[in-house]
Amino acid sequence: MPSAQNTDTDNDGKQHVQHIIIPFLQSQSQNTLTRLYQRPSSCLSIFRLLSPLERQLVMNLLWLESAISANTMHAWVTREGRKLYDEALVTLSRLHILLTATGKLALNPTFKAGFRQAITGGGSTGSFGIPAEQSDKHPGIDIEGLDAYALERWETILHFMVSSGTGQQPTRPSSGVLFLLQRSGLMSGSQNMAPQITSAGFQFLLQPPHDQLWDLLLQYLRLTEERAMDLVEVLGFIFMLATMELGREYSIENLGVHQKAMLEDLRDYGLIWQRRPSSKRFSPTRLSTTLTSSSPPLPTSSGTNSGPQEGFIILETNYRVYAYTDNPLQTAVLNLFVTLKYRFPNLVVGSITRDSVKKALMNGISADQIISYLVTHAHPQMRKNNPLLPVTVQDQIRLWELERNRLKSREGYLYTNFASQADYEFVLNYAKELDIVLWESPAKRCFFGSIEGHANIKGFIERRTMGAGP
Amino acid sequence: MDCSHLSVVLDLSPAHWQICAQHPQSPLDLSDFLSQLLAFLNAHIALKHENSLAVFAAFPGKRSIVPTLRPYACSHPVSHSVMLYSSTDPPGDHPPQVDPNSYPPFKLLDSAVLSRIHDELDDSEEPSALVGALTKALCYINRLSLGQNTDPRILILSVSPDLSTSYIPIMNSIFSAQKLKITVDACQIFGPDTVFLQQAAHLTGGAYLYLERREALLQYLIMAFLPSPSIRKVLAVPTQDKIDFRAACFCHKNIVDIGYVCSVCLSIFCQPLPVCSTCRTKFPIKTIMRLRSSLPPSDLASAAPSPPTMPLQTRPSQNGTQNGSKH
Repeated sequence: MPSAQNTDTDNDGKQHVQHIIIPFLQSQSQNTLTRLYQRPSSCLSIFRLLSPLERQLVMNLLWLESAISANTMHAWVTREGRKLYDEALVTLSRLHILLTATGKLALNPTFKAGFRQAITGGGSTGSFGIPAEQSDKHPGIDIEGLDAYALERWETILHFMVSSGTGQQPTRPSSGVLFLLQRSGLMSGSQNMAPQITSAGFQFLLQPPHDQLWDLLLQYLRLTEERAMDLVEVLGFIFMLATMELGREYSIENLGVHQKAMLEDLRDYGLIWQRRPSSKRFSPTRLSTTLTSSSPPLPTSSGTNSGPQEGFIILETNYRVYAYTDNPLQTAVLNLFVTLKYRFPNLVVGSITRDSVKKALMNGISADQIISYLVTHAHPQMRKNNPLLPVTVQDQIRLWELERNRLKSREGYLYTNFASQADYEFVLNYAKELDIVLWESPAKRCFFGSIEGHANIKGFIERRTMGAGP
Repeated sequence: MDCSHLSVVLDLSPAHWQICAQHPQSPLDLSDFLSQLLAFLNAHIALKHENSLAVFAAFPGKRSIVPTLRPYACSHPVSHSVMLYSSTDPPGDHPPQVDPNSYPPFKLLDSAVLSRIHDELDDSEEPSALVGALTKALCYINRLSLGQNTDPRILILSVSPDLSTSYIPIMNSIFSAQKLKITVDACQIFGPDTVFLQQAAHLTGGAYLYLERREALLQYLIMAFLPSPSIRKVLAVPTQDKIDFRAACFCHKNIVDIGYVCSVCLSIFCQPLPVCSTCRTKFPIKTIMRLRSSLPPSDLASAAPSPPTMPLQTRPSQNGTQNGSKH
């Protein structure tokens, strides 16, 4: 039976989904990565994005001074874990964290030094950020303020995406953000046309906030080469933000040229806060300090001032949806696949209908995405149910998706105008022996064969007419 | 969701650490131990952003410096246990200055643990309050895991030998741990193997490790105790091949090979008693005689001085067929 609940990735270490930044890092040159590993904060952040087994292997090797033979390391895992272990070794060596020369395994010396420094502290790299001096003249912003700021920025982007093309006029995010959205294919449109959300954009909207953020950052990283920015500095800055402390102000003194240039972009995404664009200090928001944690929802996933923190959607077996929210963004996202009926100050009521789901499917959203969105944002009251979502509704959404896939197209040839029934049957039998008949109609004396078999059929008919001709 | 909680229980008995530091083959002094321990604790936090950690320490008795009203209070040091650090409620009174070269949570953890140990440690011969610290760790996890799946575990780092008086409290802790689905790992850093910690690890599905090469403590800790129970299915973690299942008797707190178990309340005694000291059940004199006669001669000698005293108070027996059954 299909179920959307088997998403517990880490628990048995088997279904761990690789983080999307890992393939990107793997595609970088060894030189780039080695420079990145010189920063302890980057080592720590990358380490946290690895799978559980990979993390344990790195830890096992971290404090060893000499290389260890591959056979010894092989004995660390049980028979059932062999496959996972082999995959882990491949990932680690592609990241150039593990050096696998001459049958012996050891950590990359740069990574080892950097990560050891991260664990024990010390050194003089300053990679965890230089805190700004406390001053009475410019009191910092408190954590609530930071959360509100990050929320406002992030929701502006999402809200702009969701309401594009609906005739509403939401606040436009900055041109840098718009450019990024268009380049990443989440929105289409050119300079003079209003941007339109694409099917990739719709899928993006239904993702958990954490994936959305990394998606955008990954696009940002891809742009760095075009903008002639140093990838190591950009990555290093992002990873540094991930290890910073929420609610503390940091100085921009030690930042590189490219990192200073990034401040503006990151401000637009709501990752950092600055009093003024020219300010000499910045504070990371919760969006950035939770970058390397796997699942905790960002503060943005709740309503602005009311509503429970984690989930707000109640779905009943009669396809009714009750969403306890006053957040226009959440309402707009729900509107993608729910027919909304009533709106109250803290509640939106609607129902999932065939038409509303069809509309979502047309936009490129898949049934699984709808179901996983409902699961992620389910109200705590719903979480007492097992299974979490009513099975009837889940199945129906999937069936509606299958409906769209009723037609299957195959290329081929239609054979018709046979002279006699015997002729027709003779050729048809030959075609059936080759197993290339897709459709047949004895009444109309024609059949449809796949494109692969055409040469055979053609040759067969020609031989017959040649043989019958003289 | 998939984060894990680790509570570490440290045995900080200065007397035993002193002996450990002077061990001829592989000495390990307390400061060396602490620096390796902190690296291990940081590694646990490093594994995952959501991982939580608490550190408890068992101290021997501390002589109160402040004179109290009761004149004898100072002369009876009471062993005590302290929570050194927990990641859920960090010390908020004086946050340390942020160092650009270290990750703030690590810094916070290291300074909190070291300063608390410095404050509390005192020279004393008393055995340390391992059970107290273990119980605090259990209570803490119970509070923490209300309604959420944190995959909790406890790691006991011990240097003292078994304290037979603490057999019953340790067993009770093990049962609570089983009920809360807590894995108890134990590492004996110095001294003889401890029977009780072996049993604790075995009964809760954890690992017990006797540290043979003390200079490699950190490597042992990381390889055996860092992986959470879920990943241990994949890794070949060291396990015990033999476990000492012996229990301590209730009467003299000795670890016994052969014990006598009360058939009513299951209390364990090292010699046949006419009356169970726990539930006051009287056993038939014939059974006592039979058990006495089957005692090995050496035990008989030690058992003889205690006369079979029959208390005068009579309680209605709950069960007609009460026998002191041989374990």
